[in-house]
Amino acid sequence: MDENLQGLFDLAGVNAAVVFDGGGKLCAQRGKAVYDRALCEQVAGLMARAVDSIALQDEGWETATAHFADGTILLRRVGAVGGAAWVLGVVADAALNPAFAAVALRVAANKVKRALEASMGLAPSASAVGLGGSGVVPQPDGAHGSGALGAAPRPSGSQLLGPPAPAAAGSRPVLANTGLSWSKVSGSGMANVAAADPASAAFLQRCARALALGVGPMARFYVEEAVRRLCPEAPFAMPQARALCEELANQIEDAEDRAAFLAATKS
Amino acid sequence: MFALSMIGSIPGVKSAVLGDLGGALVDALREPEGEAMAAEMAFLGATVIEAGEQLGLGTLQRIVLAGPTSAAVVVVWDRQIMAARVDPPRALAGVEKSILAAFKQGA
Repeated sequence: MDENLQGLFDLAGVNAAVVFDGGGKLCAQRGKAVYDRALCEQVAGLMARAVDSIALQDEGWETATAHFADGTILLRRVGAVGGAAWVLGVVADAALNPAFAAVALRVAANKVKRALEASMGLAPSASAVGLGGSGVVPQPDGAHGSGALGAAPRPSGSQLLGPPAPAAAGSRPVLANTGLSWSKVSGSGMANVAAADPASAAFLQRCARALALGVGPMARFYVEEAVRRLCPEAPFAMPQARALCEELANQIEDAEDRAAFLAATKS
Repeated sequence: MFALSMIGSIPGVKSAVLGDLGGALVDALREPEGEAMAAEMAFLGATVIEAGEQLGLGTLQRIVLAGPTSAAVVVVWDRQIMAARVDPPRALAGVEKSILAAFKQGA
């Protein structure tokens, strides 16, 4: 995997290039001596947290560039592979040409995505990163679903985000992107946060936004934790909505904020 | 204090919030979820500042977020943080330039 970063690393001004998942786990790294693996692992955790807060504002983000006095951090979303959301990160100095870097990042992201798919035994996705390919999940039958990070394999021919079909007894639910973690595997190795259908996914997002007004930017993590507690085995579904709201409301100290949260999430 | 109206008058700026790095909202312009946005942007700013410190990159100046359907510019200075949503996203480069110019004027 590390060799996929070589082209990026060769670019003038690039001091380190990393690939990490949504849980901040480092998957690949190329860096100058000072940016060793230990440092990159440490920073990957911070970058993953930054990515989480970016996704809260805009789930469709593609690139984030942080300009510092003495350098730049560039992040590019690789997309979802194998149930985790992957991000490519670059640490550069003032010698970096931003236009060249944008191209090199896109190329590297495509290479990384293909390598991740290959390493997981998945069929390569047809769409390229940055060309509408974000969030594409390769399916075992070679079809592709959009936006469902962490989605479970589905039977051939079924619609990933279409209207939910009546669930037959024992059949697996159609999973949709919750837009929360965004269904990444957490660093602790816990199960994905998934929703049974688009309506449930939208509800989780509404909860996170409403809760953020009361508890701040950690709202999403509270929602994730609550979902894991409420439905550790199955995807979150609307029948659990009330229990989830009560669970989350209990974490809001201020009575006024608590009432506002319950009002905002009343379905 | 920095006048948010100056940022709001830049063509392409859809909404803007001003807050501090502690997550408190100071001012909002055309932003219905100002408090949440201020908190989330402060969390982002604080996290990126920490990453920058570990990497020896010095002071964080701004963060630019881009996507096919939305974009934003976040400027950090003197423990304050200003976030502006840009619409349409293709206007991002021009808006970023104008925001930086506005900050230079305001400073």
